[in-house]
Amino acid sequence: MTAVTASSADLLDAALAAAEPLRADRVAELDRTETFPAEACRILDELGVPDWYVPARFGGVLKDHSQLVEVVRTIARHDLTVAIAHAKTYLGAVCVWVAGDPERAELLGARIRAGAVVSWALTERGHGSDLLAGELTATPCAGGYRLDGAKWPINNATRAESVCVLARTSADAGARGYSLFLVDKDQLAAGSYQPLPKVRTHGIRGADISGIAFDGAVAPAEALIGRPGEGLEIVLKALQLTRVMAAGLSLGAADHALRLTVRYVRERELYGRRLIELPHVRRSLGEIVTAVLVAESVVMFAGRASGTLTGEMSVYSAVAKALAPTLIDEAIARCGELLGARAFLSTVYEHGAFQKLERDHRIVGIFDGSTFVNRHSLINQFPRLVAGWRERTRDDAGLRAATDPYGEPAEPGRLELFSRTGCSLVQSLPSLVDRVRADAPESVVRLAEHLLARCERLHDEMADLPPQGVAATAAAFDLAHRYELCVAAAAVLSRWSTEPTRPELAAALTLLADRLGDHRPDLAVFDRLTDDLKELS
Amino acid sequence: MTREPTKTGNHPRKETDMASNAEGPADLRAWLTGCVAQYLRRPETEIDPTVRLADYGLDSVYALALCGDIETHLDMRLSETLVWDYPTVDELAAHLEELVAAQQPAGAR
Repeated sequence: MTAVTASSADLLDAALAAAEPLRADRVAELDRTETFPAEACRILDELGVPDWYVPARFGGVLKDHSQLVEVVRTIARHDLTVAIAHAKTYLGAVCVWVAGDPERAELLGARIRAGAVVSWALTERGHGSDLLAGELTATPCAGGYRLDGAKWPINNATRAESVCVLARTSADAGARGYSLFLVDKDQLAAGSYQPLPKVRTHGIRGADISGIAFDGAVAPAEALIGRPGEGLEIVLKALQLTRVMAAGLSLGAADHALRLTVRYVRERELYGRRLIELPHVRRSLGEIVTAVLVAESVVMFAGRASGTLTGEMSVYSAVAKALAPTLIDEAIARCGELLGARAFLSTVYEHGAFQKLERDHRIVGIFDGSTFVNRHSLINQFPRLVAGWRERTRDDAGLRAATDPYGEPAEPGRLELFSRTGCSLVQSLPSLVDRVRADAPESVVRLAEHLLARCERLHDEMADLPPQGVAATAAAFDLAHRYELCVAAAAVLSRWSTEPTRPELAAALTLLADRLGDHRPDLAVFDRLTDDLKELS
Repeated sequence: MTREPTKTGNHPRKETDMASNAEGPADLRAWLTGCVAQYLRRPETEIDPTVRLADYGLDSVYALALCGDIETHLDMRLSETLVWDYPTVDELAAHLEELVAAQQPAGAR
């Protein structure tokens, strides 16, 4: 994280804390009535948040994606529905940033900075994550491309003024049969498109989850992003960036859940003691704080890596998007156990904020590629990951830049559909462990060595796995999850040199060693973490 | 980029081992068929080299993994979307043979 982002995030946080439309009662009311949080979104516009959705080279301020993570985390800390509703514009634009014509990208950047809402329309009814089953077609015609078909369910499909649409441009070209179009609704003939009704949802009830249907809508030729047939390639690359941002939403939800939980266990008294002084509460809260730190380490590293290890983003984005929402779903559930009935009632305790965020967060593990899709993507990369581990391939300059707290954020370079160098972060684990040996307490060294041994064995198991192809086994998915934990271990250890005094780091290694098995770490490390949470602020 | 053992970067190692020098077109095609069969979990004899891999159920994302395997086997850096652009075993093999031939020192074969 850079100083610049930290201070902008702090300013944003303070502004949102004071914003009337983000007050708990107002947020709860919109959720109850399934109403779009328009006022909160307008405030985000006024605060200049859309500048972060536009890369610096196209007139905005975004460089590496840890900055975007900080921004969406800060918004999500106040309300996840608002964060998802507003940040969707980045997803709508990202394909233009990755592959669009630079002049068109600058124009789009200027419109977004002025408040334009852009949506990203990939999925279709009945086809879900299977993008190449899409039936919406774009056919060359006089004046550009004629669009026919529908996209559903799509976040902001109705509110957006522009929609980035994945369309079939050739019936017989397989992965080359799809192209992307940035469609401006005001350029379409009246009646040639129509919004599909809002879909009712379990969480993010106020969000505009709807769809759009085209019927002979003619988009101009320059709506095409990249070249014909490049649609899938561009989408797969763009997802490597958006998945990191989506994982940042989980961090914000975790911050929100922790704030509610810590406040409660500090204030509530039982048997003449405050809850936070009871041993099992201390243990639980310490474990929750630690899980969030693990998720944060992975997501922030992935964000930095977008600028410094861009060619490896197929690994970091999949790991961040699979691991962070999973850890944080669990962390939220454990907060719920501590809150008791308050976690379940929809009117008491900050107007039922907890049950809302718990519902809202459920979508994060699903959209932008589910946990399953991301683990599958890792499984497909096992041969390269094993080769990288065994050859100790590393991009040391990229790694250094990704972990340097004073490093200048860098814009993404060239994204690759799969990483040829494996995962430099995990592949640096042996030297990270060496570094810890030099100056860490014995207990931490033992944990680090144990994690290294587990990681070595995991790579042997990955190497022994036959090619998985289309029908990957449950065992392969388990290996993918353990791989995520190894990436997390390396991400945590990479923080050691700059933050050696943080007790959470030792706790994070303990949590990871516990989950990777074959080790009975001293869990009392979690209890001590609550000491600095105890004081009433 | 560093590698702790002696290998260097991602550049094609032209002088080394297997595929690029020792292996002829027939071997390459046989290796490719075997590789595809493994991905699809079918016997090699069932792989028709004129049928698109996608029609066998090898979808576009798995095709990327196959591309990675081919890069490792040939020790060459290839276009990531190779299998999308040459979608059958025949087309792939013909394309790869051309690339391998172009890499041979003149008069080597």
